Amino acid sequence: MASVQLVKKAVTVPPTVRTLASGVPRAPLIDFRARAAGHGDHAHHHGSAGPRSDAPSKVFGSVFQSPSSGLVAKVRTTAPVTGVFQQRLLHTTPAVRDAPQVPDFTPYEAKDESTNRSLAYLMIGSMGIISASVAQSTVTEFLKTMSASADVLAMAKVEVDINSIPEGKNVIIKWRGKPVFIRHRTQDEIEEARSTDWKSLRDPQPDEDRTKKPDWLVMLGVCTHLGCVPIGEAGDFGGWFCPCHGSHYDISGRIRKGPAPTNLEVPQYEINEAEGKLVIG
Amino acid sequence: MSKIANTFYNSIVKRNSVFVSTIFAGAFAFSVGFDVAVTKFWDSWNRGKQWKDIRHKYIQEE
Repeated sequence: MASVQLVKKAVTVPPTVRTLASGVPRAPLIDFRARAAGHGDHAHHHGSAGPRSDAPSKVFGSVFQSPSSGLVAKVRTTAPVTGVFQQRLLHTTPAVRDAPQVPDFTPYEAKDESTNRSLAYLMIGSMGIISASVAQSTVTEFLKTMSASADVLAMAKVEVDINSIPEGKNVIIKWRGKPVFIRHRTQDEIEEARSTDWKSLRDPQPDEDRTKKPDWLVMLGVCTHLGCVPIGEAGDFGGWFCPCHGSHYDISGRIRKGPAPTNLEVPQYEINEAEGKLVIG
Repeated sequence: MSKIANTFYNSIVKRNSVFVSTIFAGAFAFSVGFDVAVTKFWDSWNRGKQWKDIRHKYIQEE
């Protein structure tokens, strides 16, 4: 007995309907044309063919050609029940409206269009005014936190009574946490400071640039080397001497000898000789 | 009412530049006015407690 072998073969069936490049469906073997009903003999009476074979059954209505009034469509409004039928005994018929999903807003609409618009813009403007004001004060208050507080400003200036300092004496006061030297220089010291050949110094600076009044020398008492406080009326040049590493400053506070790189710093100050006051800061 | 509204709209809102400048000017005036009002309220609330109220008791003008 010959064994039966089932072979599955994929067969490519040519499509019965395809679409032409123009988009028109083409089915070469199927006749889609509607045939006239009741003319099995295919008599050629195309003028009055009667109802079409694919026309809906007369149960629902029909379209036919009347000899007197041309093409007539009849639709039965009370079509007889065709399938399973359940009678709905309760129903309401809502009023037909243009857009049934949208509620009626007429009671809420503004009575006056322009008043409504102006009110909306007034509200927008007021909101803008308040937010702009808030933003402005936020920025200013934030910037104010960066400025110096009142206690710092109170400590920023120091007033000294210069009438109480005799000639040829040093006074050391504290200003912003640092010592400040004030020297009432004698005439000899002024001449000595001004006659020095300052161009050859390490940090060349004339005495005229370092003092506002030649009698009064005001400078920060911090050695420019490593920040010690120099000792007054000491050193090789009759000025200041730093004990830490041996820097010598002259009577104008200029560095003359030792490791310090620059002259003693001169702070901002004002001298009011009429009232005998010296304001540092 | 409608006339005032229309005047407001036509004079201020219609041009955005005018609207925005009005808002900024209004913000300036509002912040000044708000400041004055709050300060006035503060002073009246704390009447007799601040230094400026009792200064004359301690410092005689020369």
